[in-house]
Amino acid sequence: MATLAQQIINGLTVGSLYALMALGLTMVYGVMRVLHIAHAGVFTLGAYAGLAAFAWSGSFWVALGAAMVAATLAGLAMERWVYSPLLGKPPITTLIASIGAFIALEEIYRIVAGPQPYSFSVSLALPDVRTGGLVLTAPQLLVMLVTGVLLLALWLLLSRTDVGLAIRAVSQDGEMAMACGMDGRRVVTLTFGVGSALAGAAGMLVGIYYNSVSPTMGSVTAYKGLAIIVLGGLGSIPGTVLGGLAVGLVETLVIGLVEFPLPRDAWAFLAMIAVFLARPQGLLGVK
Amino acid sequence: MRLRVFLGLVLASVLGADPAAAQGSIRIGFFAPLTGFAAADGASARHSAEIAVEELNAAGGIKGKKLELVTYDDRHDSKEAVALANKLVERDGVVGVVSGSYSMPSRVTAPIFAKAGLPMTVAYAVHPDVTKAGPCVFRNGFLGQVEGWAGAEAAVTLHKARRIAVLTIDNDFGRTSGKAFIERARKLGAEVLSEQVYPLGEKEFSPYLTKIKEQNPDLIYHTSYYNEGAQITRKARELGITAKLEGTEGIDSPKFLELAGPAAEGVTFTTNLNRDDARPEVQNFLRKYKAKTGVEADMVGASAYDAVRLLAQAIEQGGPDPKAICAALTNVSNYPAITGRISKFVKGEVTKPVQIQVIRDGKIRSLATIDNPEVITPPVQ
Repeated sequence: MATLAQQIINGLTVGSLYALMALGLTMVYGVMRVLHIAHAGVFTLGAYAGLAAFAWSGSFWVALGAAMVAATLAGLAMERWVYSPLLGKPPITTLIASIGAFIALEEIYRIVAGPQPYSFSVSLALPDVRTGGLVLTAPQLLVMLVTGVLLLALWLLLSRTDVGLAIRAVSQDGEMAMACGMDGRRVVTLTFGVGSALAGAAGMLVGIYYNSVSPTMGSVTAYKGLAIIVLGGLGSIPGTVLGGLAVGLVETLVIGLVEFPLPRDAWAFLAMIAVFLARPQGLLGVK
Repeated sequence: MRLRVFLGLVLASVLGADPAAAQGSIRIGFFAPLTGFAAADGASARHSAEIAVEELNAAGGIKGKKLELVTYDDRHDSKEAVALANKLVERDGVVGVVSGSYSMPSRVTAPIFAKAGLPMTVAYAVHPDVTKAGPCVFRNGFLGQVEGWAGAEAAVTLHKARRIAVLTIDNDFGRTSGKAFIERARKLGAEVLSEQVYPLGEKEFSPYLTKIKEQNPDLIYHTSYYNEGAQITRKARELGITAKLEGTEGIDSPKFLELAGPAAEGVTFTTNLNRDDARPEVQNFLRKYKAKTGVEADMVGASAYDAVRLLAQAIEQGGPDPKAICAALTNVSNYPAITGRISKFVKGEVTKPVQIQVIRDGKIRSLATIDNPEVITPPVQ
């Protein structure tokens, strides 16, 4: 029983990281109908920027700020110079451009920072929580707390502000929103900024959680992120959070409870296929 | 027309071996993954091979001629490896080749060198097929089986482990050494509680280790490289697992110490490099490597150093005739490699003791040496 509870904690931690990473993907899809593969490159940039800022300042909060700012700038740059010029082209064009941008980013990290991983070790002012046989380690606690705060902030932004209203309106029906006088271009820029900031935070948390920052750390997240947003319902923010947590939990429980000779990364896609068959619009998507 | 002449000249200069360089020196080919995911290992292998060549040349070269290393990057890509092997055979005029690379590039190139009759020494690639390419391929590193058996010997007789959990990486190296470990651990009377397999590049070990925690073993044996090994080590200690942790040569790297942090304390592993070996040639290499690269040496580098020196010695004895170089390698006996004294080669497989190293106060130290012939004799017929 304690083991099961422990596995659930493990799964939710990984799931939080997935959710944070995938939120930007789903938001961008919502306003632009683009699968933003290079988002995973932004995620990796967050880890490197956070590491550099931490080495310089020694402060977790400065590092988190730097990770989010660097990621935001990278996201905005990509929106400005990769996606905007391709607006109106067939979706496959933007998809290919996005994959290209992702590969280019990974190679840039490799050339600049070298191929080998860096350690990202932060002494946390958090305790390990131990009750019975159960452990919630300090890094797990950190991941859950930061994710929780960021999700709350995102929810407040989307539900309580005009900006949030505009983002939601554009993602529900872009043309109608613009007909009502909203500045579609500005909303897209804002969405890229917010989504990229979240990815930057996720990248840095992943770097700390695994004590490892490397050029290819975004590659698994790149394709798993797609499975998660499709699972949750493309463009649905609560769906993506749910999808991320679900994938994290399922992967962990499958490894922990049953001996099954399938790599963990396959489970996200099996879940995606199953949901497609039963509910083509995704868990929380709208037809 | 002029263009054609020009192109012809370019082609001739590209295709023809550089005669000036070939006359005054003896050339040996060398390849390693200098870019790509394995670039850290590639760099270590190259630096060490260069140290070996510098030393040999400082001592007067081979038969009065300078030794020259022709280095290629295989990018851990089979197409790239085949192309560079053909270049070495057809163009570079080398008398032998050293693999400073992983199993895959070594495996695809060994038959090309064998067909061309070129002798080859292999630093640390583990796949059994590498040495099967021909009679003149010699491996300086251990086969997976030997490493697994030695791991079990250390776990059961040295650490007195009775209840063992096994975590195996899903590739040839991991599966072979994992299987051999389990076989010998059972034979020595230990109980193997579980064998879990994880994919290369896995980062999240809490599900595997939570399961192991429930089984409460005395020791966890993991076949892994430094990335995965460091995650296993950190996560095990974070989850409060107090079992001993034993790994393989895959974690023999300063990067393991860096990524695992304080959790690495007390971890042991099987390898061929003994940092506490008092022989001057070993300490000399460790010092030179540190001076050249700024980091501590690892088994990849030390193995590449040995592979270059082994080939050079055989060229000294038999060269430049490839058959005589081959014979010299076949007859190697009691050779003082820095990664352990080589008693002989059996069908190209090395026979030498396995080192058990331990991490103590953040440094890699010697714990024991396993020289039981039952364990270290390579399993070839």
